[in-house]
Amino acid sequence: MLNRLVRWSRIKSPWILHLNSGACNACDIEIVAALTPRFDVERFGVLLKATPRHADVIVATGPVTRQIKDRIIRIYEQTPDPKFVIAVGACAMSGCVYRGAYNIMGGLDQVIPVNVYIPGCPARPDAILDGVVKLLGKL
Amino acid sequence: MNDLEIIEKTRSLLGDKILEIANPALRRIFIKVEPEKLVDFIAGLRKNLNITYVATISGVDLGEFFEILYHFGHSNGSLTVRTLIPRANPHIESICSVIPGAILYERELQDMFGIIVDHIPDPRPLVVPDGWPAGNFPLRKDWKYERPEEIIPGGKK
Amino acid sequence: MKFQIPIGPQHPALKEPISLRMTVDGEVIRDADIRLGYNHRGIEKLAEERSWIQNIYLTERICGICSHSHATCFTQGVEKLMELNPPKRGLYIRTLVAELERIHSHLLWLGVAGHEAGFDSFFMYTWRDREVVMDLLEMISGNRVHYAINTIGGVRRDIDEDQRKKILDGLKILKERSEYYFKIGANEPTFVGRLAGVGLLSKQKVIDLCAVGPMARASDLPQDVRKDDPYAVYDEIPFDVCTADTCDVLGRTVVRIKELFESYKICEFLMKNLPPGDIAVKAPTKAKPNEVVSRYEAPRGENTHYIKSNGTNKPERLKVRAPTLANYPATVEMLKNGFIADIPLIFAAIDPCICCAERTVEIVNGRTGEENVVRFSELRALAEERFKKMPPKRNAVWPF
Repeated sequence: MLNRLVRWSRIKSPWILHLNSGACNACDIEIVAALTPRFDVERFGVLLKATPRHADVIVATGPVTRQIKDRIIRIYEQTPDPKFVIAVGACAMSGCVYRGAYNIMGGLDQVIPVNVYIPGCPARPDAILDGVVKLLGKL
Repeated sequence: MNDLEIIEKTRSLLGDKILEIANPALRRIFIKVEPEKLVDFIAGLRKNLNITYVATISGVDLGEFFEILYHFGHSNGSLTVRTLIPRANPHIESICSVIPGAILYERELQDMFGIIVDHIPDPRPLVVPDGWPAGNFPLRKDWKYERPEEIIPGGKK
Repeated sequence: MKFQIPIGPQHPALKEPISLRMTVDGEVIRDADIRLGYNHRGIEKLAEERSWIQNIYLTERICGICSHSHATCFTQGVEKLMELNPPKRGLYIRTLVAELERIHSHLLWLGVAGHEAGFDSFFMYTWRDREVVMDLLEMISGNRVHYAINTIGGVRRDIDEDQRKKILDGLKILKERSEYYFKIGANEPTFVGRLAGVGLLSKQKVIDLCAVGPMARASDLPQDVRKDDPYAVYDEIPFDVCTADTCDVLGRTVVRIKELFESYKICEFLMKNLPPGDIAVKAPTKAKPNEVVSRYEAPRGENTHYIKSNGTNKPERLKVRAPTLANYPATVEMLKNGFIADIPLIFAAIDPCICCAERTVEIVNGRTGEENVVRFSELRALAEERFKKMPPKRNAVWPF
């Protein structure tokens, strides 16, 4: 019974953690713009949280550079189960224009397991909302 | 001061250190000096012409030599000082004693080309990640990167 | 007793991974150190293997906020290498997009500064207005960021009469709203008092440490590439270089607000005097061996590209120096002898665009040697608490 309550509250209001792994910033500004009055993601109960220990969903952008790879793995392990990862933007999916550079690992799925991919360069705030809602529908 | 005035003044005050001067386009001057006289020349620019703003320091790999360009900006254009150092012995003197703001560009030069900057106040690497193997200088022409095979999760092998 | 505080690389305030390590003594910062490299993507090496047109798209993605500045700086340089003269109408459209980008970047910064100072409604208002500019950019180019409107020899898309009217209407709305905010800002003594006296940087230090952009202009140094080394059509447009002389974060805010109003004026001038004609000339695929230095005034400061060609269709060397990298030594200087509670505001005042600089804060307790990771949001809460206890500075005046 308590499990069902907890599961319902997680679906109704996921708390997200925003992670930037070496991106050009366009996708990150679009994620923050999703909080502003025009797109307003908070009406879905989504809150931007500061620490991995409070978060349900990790929203990550950017191609993964070597320097930040260990930190990402550490943050992924600090997030409590059940957790989901959303990869936003073409960089997080496969590296976008930076494929083949010496400091880039490739997409985000080379480092941590990913549940949802949102394409775009940058992904529009509407697309990000769409992706988050689709994830909630799958749960 | 426009281009001709700057060239006149530099020639008259610091002419003994210059190898050649070029003015290929409006508001762009390129001056070539020898590496040993570099710091004195830049100190002279600062004292006599009040040119102190270093925009950046670029390195170019020319095979036998490394060419280092110091890009300065002033109120009417841009002035670049270039010098050549041999690849077998890549040492250059730091200009941070004259212009403290050039420190980050010299650290980047050390990381990317393996040029050793003497008397630099802070010799730590700037942009390469921790654990980068020493002796790998990415911007040299003979350094190639082989990308390892990617594993696509849930995809074709 | 000295402590060292780490901040980063993942922190909620700054959207980008950097690592700062600060040595503190009580509440006063004694020394600061910055670790770059989390954002290093090896773009200069990648540029040597792509052709001239492909490099436009690569340089655009160096930064997401000032993407047009990198693309235009590169395209200008290549046009000089190939000795092309793009037509006037193309240059006007390029300058229009550049000024619209400056408007959106300064509105973004004002929102972030308001958020760091604790003024969250200001953040929501400015970002709502930013959407007006994003809609205009989407109408002109097709995308909200990464406009891809440049091509070697001119621009790719034209503006017709209908779009021109919409741009003028949009600018009128923005102007009214901006004037309303600045009246609020000027009459709100807590906001002004929060920004005054923080992050002082004298004029001599700015000259020694080679700072650029609004950081330099707030210390009374009229350094602006649009006046010193005019590119595109800036030598035909009447505008002023905006400076302030308070040398602190309040001065930087005032400089950015003045630049916002100048940009509105410039955009109106461009739209009213748009000349007819072509928008691009045809460009060759190969360039003769040559070298060029290209400079551009991005919203954060001066952007410098050095391009060298060797007769093929790929560049021999591309060197990019973004403005935030030039402001780093000045930031370290500003942080010394400041308070921990002022770190978010000082760092936000340089308008950091770390992805441009290619390139993370750590606090170590000097007394016991243990490491504490302090989150930026905790620092901000600490700042707000400390600020509530202090009396407001009654003598801090809005300088214009």
